[in-house]
Amino acid sequence: MTMTKLETHGIVKYFKHESHQLTALGGVDLKVEDGDFVCLVGPSGCGKSTFLRIIAGLESPDEGEVLFDGKPVTTTGPERIMVFQEGALFPWLKVKDNVEFGLKMAGIKEEKRTQISKRFLDMMQLTKFADSFTYQLSTGMKQRVAIARALVMDPDVLLMDEPFAALDAQTRDLLLVEMQLIWEKTKKTILFVTHNVAEAAVLGTKVVVFSNRPSKIKKLFPVDFKRPRLVEDENLLDLQQEILSELRPEVKKSS
Amino acid sequence: MKKNILGKKIAFYIILVLVWQAVSMSNIWPDNIFPSPYEVAEDLVYMASDGSLFFGIGTTLMRLIVGLAIAIAGGIVLGIFMARVETVNQTIGSLVLGLQSIPSIAWVPLAILWFGLTDAGIIFVTAIGAVFAVTINTYTGIKNIDPHYVEAARNMGAKGTQLITSVLIPAAFPYMISGFKQGWAFAWRGVIGAELLFSFLGLGFLLNVGRQINEVSQVIAIMLMIMAIGMAVDGLLFKKIENKVMSRWGLR
Repeated sequence: MTMTKLETHGIVKYFKHESHQLTALGGVDLKVEDGDFVCLVGPSGCGKSTFLRIIAGLESPDEGEVLFDGKPVTTTGPERIMVFQEGALFPWLKVKDNVEFGLKMAGIKEEKRTQISKRFLDMMQLTKFADSFTYQLSTGMKQRVAIARALVMDPDVLLMDEPFAALDAQTRDLLLVEMQLIWEKTKKTILFVTHNVAEAAVLGTKVVVFSNRPSKIKKLFPVDFKRPRLVEDENLLDLQQEILSELRPEVKKSS
Repeated sequence: MKKNILGKKIAFYIILVLVWQAVSMSNIWPDNIFPSPYEVAEDLVYMASDGSLFFGIGTTLMRLIVGLAIAIAGGIVLGIFMARVETVNQTIGSLVLGLQSIPSIAWVPLAILWFGLTDAGIIFVTAIGAVFAVTINTYTGIKNIDPHYVEAARNMGAKGTQLITSVLIPAAFPYMISGFKQGWAFAWRGVIGAELLFSFLGLGFLLNVGRQINEVSQVIAIMLMIMAIGMAVDGLLFKKIENKVMSRWGLR
């Protein structure tokens, strides 16, 4: 039996654009079950990242509400951890200390921190970079650190804002497979914003298509193929076409 | 390439000293007005051998370090307040900009009236000359922090003092370093200037003594010392820290 982990009701968000007001999100209703891997796609500027930030509690909606385990979300919390596009790693800390940051803030003793971070450094294949600084890492490695840093917090929900957008194709394909393994291993609920339809089809248990502004959810595709899926899997191609045919008119409207 | 630059530098200074020597030997000016490099070196050796030089350097550096430490601590606190509390920025912030424009030497009369001819007076002048440069750079540094750092940190449970010490200060550090460097430059000028006017031990005092006893070679010797210390702190200390911070923070 599945449980609803996260619900949004009629999320509206306005943007100030020069002198006039734009409605970015025009009433977004979404229900996310525990353990779902939901990928959000939409034309650029549709507010899908803003939607994610509202769920994270980093921004508040102008109308509507977010419910986490049935309770309204008003601020950020360690049960909903965000992974930023550029990683937002702290350059003044070693990889290990970046990964342990949240634990340190929670006042967990060093010995215990090391024990926990070791597990996730291993999982993300970062062990031999534990003492490196972030400027010594490739973009792909940085994203691994960002994911490890989020997982260490043991959140119920991972919120990922185009985390693979800056990666080269090979690195991205590798991380797409790893991300599926992590999801299966940790049973996290994941919301994943991307502009890449193939990425969404590979990762998601559900793919949500946002309409152009004022954005609403236009269509939700359940995805039920066996894992691990690869970008080049032929049975995903039809699905990608279907998603694209929903998305394309929206992109046209937005440009 | 690097060797080449060093070679040029050495050649330049050798020529400079030779020209200096030649001019002084030409007797255009009398020796007591334009001493030779040899006489200046002699004075340096003399002051080193009787210990007055090292005592002077020690005294000045002590005042500098204490003054700069006060300026850095105060500047960081004030800078953080200005960056975090908009009202503080709008009120005290404008005053800081005004005070920053006062040359440190202009604080000397006030310092003498308040503290008398004491170390405390000189340290006051040193600190007040440097504090606002640190303040402004700390403020700018915190204002320029990538908002994602703060969001990520808050998301992972950092708040209050924890957020300041584990994220805001380290994230603003590249700016703060330039604040310290500027602060040091103001403090160095301030401490020497104050010592000249207070005439109470230190390198500035030795300069003044040189003038009073008409000993131009001593004046030049002390000036060379002031320059050497300045170059050492700039080139060795701050450049090293700056390079390290810049590369680690991924700014280079």
